[in-house]
Amino acid sequence: MGFSGQSQDSEVTEDSIGQQPLTGIRVLDLSGPMGVYCGKLMADMGADVIKVEPPGGDPMRDLGPFLQDEAHPERSLHWLHFNTNKRSITLDVADPKGVELLSKMVLGADVVLETFPPGYLDALGLGYTVLSRSNPGLIYASLTPFGQTGPYKNFKATDLTGFAMGGYMYVTGWPDTPPTRLWGSQAYNTTSNRAFIAILLALYHRMATGKGQFIDVSMQEAVAATTEHVNTTYNYTGESAVRCGFRHGGQFVATWRCKDGFVSITTNTQQAWDDLRDWMAQDGMAGDLSSERFNDRFILRGEHGEHIEELIQAWALTHTRQEITDWGQARHHPWGPAVRSDEILNNEQLWDRGYFVESEDPSRAKKVVYPGAPYKLSKSPWQFNHPAPQVGQHNREIYCGDLGLPEDELEILTAQGVI
Amino acid sequence: MNAVSDTSGSGHALQGIRVLDFTWIHAGPSATRVLSDQGAEVIKVESNQALAVVGGPSSATARGLGQRHNWNAGKRSISLDMKTPQGVAIAKRLVAVSDVVAENFSGRVMPGWGMDYQSLRQVKPDVIMLSMSGFGRTGPWKDRVSYGQTLQALSGFTELTGFPDSDPSGPASAYSDAVGGMAGAQAVLLALLHRARTGQGQWIDLSQFEALTSLLDTLVLDLSANGESPNTQRSGNRSPSGSGAPHGAYRCIGEDRWVAITVSTGGEWESLVHVMDNPAWAKDERFATAAGRSGHVDELDSLLETWTSQHTAEEVMRLLQEAGVPAGVVQTGADLAENDPHIKERGFFRHVLDAKGVSRTIEGAPYKLSRTPGGANRGAPEFGADQTYVLREVLGMSDEELADCAIAGVFE
Repeated sequence: MGFSGQSQDSEVTEDSIGQQPLTGIRVLDLSGPMGVYCGKLMADMGADVIKVEPPGGDPMRDLGPFLQDEAHPERSLHWLHFNTNKRSITLDVADPKGVELLSKMVLGADVVLETFPPGYLDALGLGYTVLSRSNPGLIYASLTPFGQTGPYKNFKATDLTGFAMGGYMYVTGWPDTPPTRLWGSQAYNTTSNRAFIAILLALYHRMATGKGQFIDVSMQEAVAATTEHVNTTYNYTGESAVRCGFRHGGQFVATWRCKDGFVSITTNTQQAWDDLRDWMAQDGMAGDLSSERFNDRFILRGEHGEHIEELIQAWALTHTRQEITDWGQARHHPWGPAVRSDEILNNEQLWDRGYFVESEDPSRAKKVVYPGAPYKLSKSPWQFNHPAPQVGQHNREIYCGDLGLPEDELEILTAQGVI
Repeated sequence: MNAVSDTSGSGHALQGIRVLDFTWIHAGPSATRVLSDQGAEVIKVESNQALAVVGGPSSATARGLGQRHNWNAGKRSISLDMKTPQGVAIAKRLVAVSDVVAENFSGRVMPGWGMDYQSLRQVKPDVIMLSMSGFGRTGPWKDRVSYGQTLQALSGFTELTGFPDSDPSGPASAYSDAVGGMAGAQAVLLALLHRARTGQGQWIDLSQFEALTSLLDTLVLDLSANGESPNTQRSGNRSPSGSGAPHGAYRCIGEDRWVAITVSTGGEWESLVHVMDNPAWAKDERFATAAGRSGHVDELDSLLETWTSQHTAEEVMRLLQEAGVPAGVVQTGADLAENDPHIKERGFFRHVLDAKGVSRTIEGAPYKLSRTPGGANRGAPEFGADQTYVLREVLGMSDEELADCAIAGVFE
């Protein structure tokens, strides 16, 4: 189904594409929204990720938008996006029989990924200490809002409040708007991205030593380590960074309103600053900006900032995004258009590189486009092997096939609501 | 916390790995800092022609100095002029004894030095090369240049972040660089795992544009399946998946003080109303159901703010957390560094000494590995600080060779 394109030859020659980097790694994904992207990253890199859903299906399946706007657990785009290449079983992990089945499954697993409150799985007998006794190579990643220790460890958080507590929200937005979140669920995504790094480090360590380990990931810290300037500004100047919209710190990395939208004009070098002033002068709109006293490109941050900003803004309005982008890129300056959502799927660079992946909609003959590989590994690549699973799609395969559960027992457990 | 008895680990996961690091500014150095924190020996190859760039050895501002330490703590530095043939020859000798080569130049630079992947493979067949560029090394835009803000604009993040009734704000700072750094670290670790299993090295073509586009959540699927709709436009602080209201930042006592609150269930709504001491407005039928709260969200937001604005953000957080409602102070840099007792107890910020013995504050890793906690134990290197170690001890260069190179200006 969909994009694959790479052969899976078992014979490795010097130039051949080999297996995916996580082929053969089995992951039990017990995570909610904070960890689901981490599970996807592993599955897309070849791991056998088994999504453990509560009987009846993961609550994430209720989140819109939906395929053709039709609300249904198998049509949630949220579900489809974040669970590519995973398998699905259903299990009530709080039921004693569920605990028994999960413990058995852990014997054959390499990674447990979970986002329950601290102590929840321990109380069920499914904590790291217990499970690692029977599987010392187990890597157990716990993703929580604030980590496993400290005074806030039992605080609840969602993507938005995690983004706030990590220090990123305060600086996002304009001085006259409230602090603002980024598009999407970036606090959750960042937690997942950080957790994936930690899991890969643990897998590498395990190759050398055979030993697994426990990983404690805090969403607050994941966000706090991702802000670029919030902590360095305070720790090195004593001032808190403030909101300044898309005029990043100093306006020399800035976005401006132009004729047909917004465009990013970064004067990261003296040449870029001089070229910009020259172009404005050619258009007769440089005002006094060409004078020597404005030669220092960092002057935008100083007392003349407002005056310079007015001049650049007035000039930018006389050109389109495309004109400014082409002119700047021709001179090797990092300038580019702010694209609107209706333009995202039309990007020639992304299509040329085979970034987007098209897959059949599982129930209708319509193509759905997915984001592709976040990076291209030449010999062990990202792959779209199959779309997200249906609720409990692999129950029989995994419970009866892998665990040896008799068919009639599977039926009984299903009827009892354990599976 | 009893989950782990064995937290006494002091190990590093990447002991014995050597990284030759040509990266600069933010994205690249933040990727290789992940590796150096875990024991890899990261050798920065620097040039005196880029001393003052952000995070360069002589960053012009205090903030730049902070970024120098934050993304380069624990690394080594050598000075090498790659425009000289001897400089390239030394770099290739270093490649031969390295596991990973990392760079985040635009596409022309490494091939211009004869340092493209195919050339490096001649020197070290199983080398892993990480090329982090703005747009990737193929396609019509391969030679374009970008900054974080360029990619945020091109991926849609700029237009999509902010409130519908005002200009978009885009992400503050360079989210794109942070994302590129995380992606770069992941890609190198995946390649190291692949090498450990197969003996093969490989080339990683990382387009930071693609890494960022991968984080648009459901947008790409939504546009292809359903086309344009309110779901594909910026929506301020509303829940991205429509999972409930209130969902936003609310003004509190003090200058520019805010608290973030989200309510996704009926139980959380009842708890919020109870904590507010059951104000009459909260009993309004329009707010009795989730659909009603979402349908009258503007009014709901301003009524909720009449309550939050009588309290400090810290009070609101404490009261709501005690009642099981997700709420968090919209923390500033000062809050994180000085006021947050939790992040202090977790030891998120680390203090390391720079070359002059001055204590520098850096961010720690945002994960705790029980057996291999890792962590930097010194600040960023001074420019060319490790010339002797790298050239004499690692490469075994003689006095004569070093003198010849110095005369030819190779170390400038």
